[in-house]
Amino acid sequence: MATAAKTPPDAEAPSAPGVHPKPFWSFKPRSDREAGDAIVANFALHWFPAKVFKPSLDWSYSFWLGTVSAALLLLLVVSGLPLLFLYVPSVERAYGSVKDIEWVVTFGSWIRSVHRLSAHLMVAAVFLHLVRVFLTGAYKNGAGRGQRRQWNWVIGVVMLLLTLFLSFTGYLLPWDQLAFWAVTVGTNIAASIPWVGPEIRELLIGGRNIDQATLIRFYVLHVIFLPGLLGALFAYHMWRIRKDGGLARVDRAATLREKQAEEPVKTKTYTLLGVARGTAPAIRAASLEARDLTVNAMPDLVRRAAVAVLGTFAVISVLASFIRSPLEEAANALVTPNPAKAPWYFLWLQEIVTDTTFTIAGFTVNGAFLGGVILPSLILLALTAWPWLDRSPAEATGVWFHGSRRKQNAFFLLAVLVVVLLTIVGTFLRGPSWQLFWPWQAWPELPTRI
Amino acid sequence: MSEEHSKKDRREFLVKMGIGAGVVGIGTQAAASLRSLLPNVSYDAPTTVKLGLPTDFPDGMKFLPEQRLFVFREGKVFHAVSAVCTHLGCTVRAEALPQPETMEVGGAPMRVTHRFACPCHGSKYTGDGKVASGPAPKALAWYHLTVSTDDGQLVVDLANEVGRDFRLTVA
Repeated sequence: MATAAKTPPDAEAPSAPGVHPKPFWSFKPRSDREAGDAIVANFALHWFPAKVFKPSLDWSYSFWLGTVSAALLLLLVVSGLPLLFLYVPSVERAYGSVKDIEWVVTFGSWIRSVHRLSAHLMVAAVFLHLVRVFLTGAYKNGAGRGQRRQWNWVIGVVMLLLTLFLSFTGYLLPWDQLAFWAVTVGTNIAASIPWVGPEIRELLIGGRNIDQATLIRFYVLHVIFLPGLLGALFAYHMWRIRKDGGLARVDRAATLREKQAEEPVKTKTYTLLGVARGTAPAIRAASLEARDLTVNAMPDLVRRAAVAVLGTFAVISVLASFIRSPLEEAANALVTPNPAKAPWYFLWLQEIVTDTTFTIAGFTVNGAFLGGVILPSLILLALTAWPWLDRSPAEATGVWFHGSRRKQNAFFLLAVLVVVLLTIVGTFLRGPSWQLFWPWQAWPELPTRI
Repeated sequence: MSEEHSKKDRREFLVKMGIGAGVVGIGTQAAASLRSLLPNVSYDAPTTVKLGLPTDFPDGMKFLPEQRLFVFREGKVFHAVSAVCTHLGCTVRAEALPQPETMEVGGAPMRVTHRFACPCHGSKYTGDGKVASGPAPKALAWYHLTVSTDDGQLVVDLANEVGRDFRLTVA
């Protein structure tokens, strides 16, 4: 690989081993060596590979949804910092402080909108990322030999869960009506677990009534505990991608190449001898060394990642300038709003807990437990176990809609469709007292107080 | 047993001791931290609450938002029904019936003026708190009512659920 171009003598003064002589890094490498150095020596980029498999960078393979999710997470941390200075986690002052952020603080409503929109889009992006990984069979170990992609899929499922918990704990911080009744319903779902439920609820809300102890608990979860956990898992998720040989698409290319290369080998007789002498053609598992298929991460990967990340920032910044964040009336334990709706990404669950109470032989099962605990647990269990249930061949790794995975893809898409449909029903068709109304039907007039 | 061997045994033993001590230490600290989050004192509102003089209650129904309670009066007879939905704890709303109905409640006829609907997941209850439709797994609770001996106020005991045959007759 000694193809490094000649560099001008002044550019590379002799330096002691292990010493990086320049204050920064090269963003315009003139040699492979400099390109590698630009990644390895850069604190922000050192977790990138020096070289990447070209087709992994295709926009149409991954849609860069993982990168977009990470960009949104970064944006959430950054936009959360000023909010940390402005928000007061007390039941008396939380609502007022959010109101101030929205109407008094200069650029406050924009920062809050950036934070809120990033959160909403992150739920969507992480979910779509999961859909993409499923449909491309990217949790499969195409090359085998020590790959553990299935565990990275499990980490990913946990990260989706953490994203949802972060959203939940976030939208109750304003301590408005939405917040108060979301906590009421959310913690009562936990309380519906037989035997231990009421204790779990008490631990969650720090008492028997939703009060200061509840707010400070969810606040700490939102600003320290859950982001810390998500950050740690994010780092591990990235590291595993590297250690599993990059995106699943690399495996596909490697298997194809191996097949091509193997055929002529079989017809030759010198193979065994050649192996012993070390002269037989060596086939690499992942063909990252193949020059025709790889590019230097600096600049090709970095440029595309920058487009994805900065593009996400730009879209959010512009959207946040036009979309204001809602704030309902201050939390009022005395009045439940009608209808009381969860945010859109929980509406399918709200639909399910509505429809799953049933009675067998005089024994009633609460929909809160069946739809709110059992069913989500089963979905999580199925998602987690799926890589071990998936018996498709290695060729199906990193390919959109591979023929051998037709049935499971159809099943998965059907499940996604059900969730989307329930979300639509909850969003557009539910009115007062959670009754069904067509969008063009007027809701009945209801007294605000009885 | 050779000296080599016993040295190796000792090293393994000490390593296991070290790891064990570490696990116990961190485990205890974690348990202590978690335990501190379980409240020892409850500052919750008391469950026995004075509601006012019986004469302050109108004939029919009165909603007490702080207690999340409906108090019904029919002449001298009182009973109280919880407004907390048994599904997921939202506050149900009372809807006045177009015509008061008489139904059998707890073995005795009762004039029923309202029914209840939950805004969160659409449960509906009849005027005596029974589930009419929706995801609610059981009927709205009825609570014990008494008259306070010191000032004659109506007192509800929110920790004391009673059957649907409960009636308090105030002299």
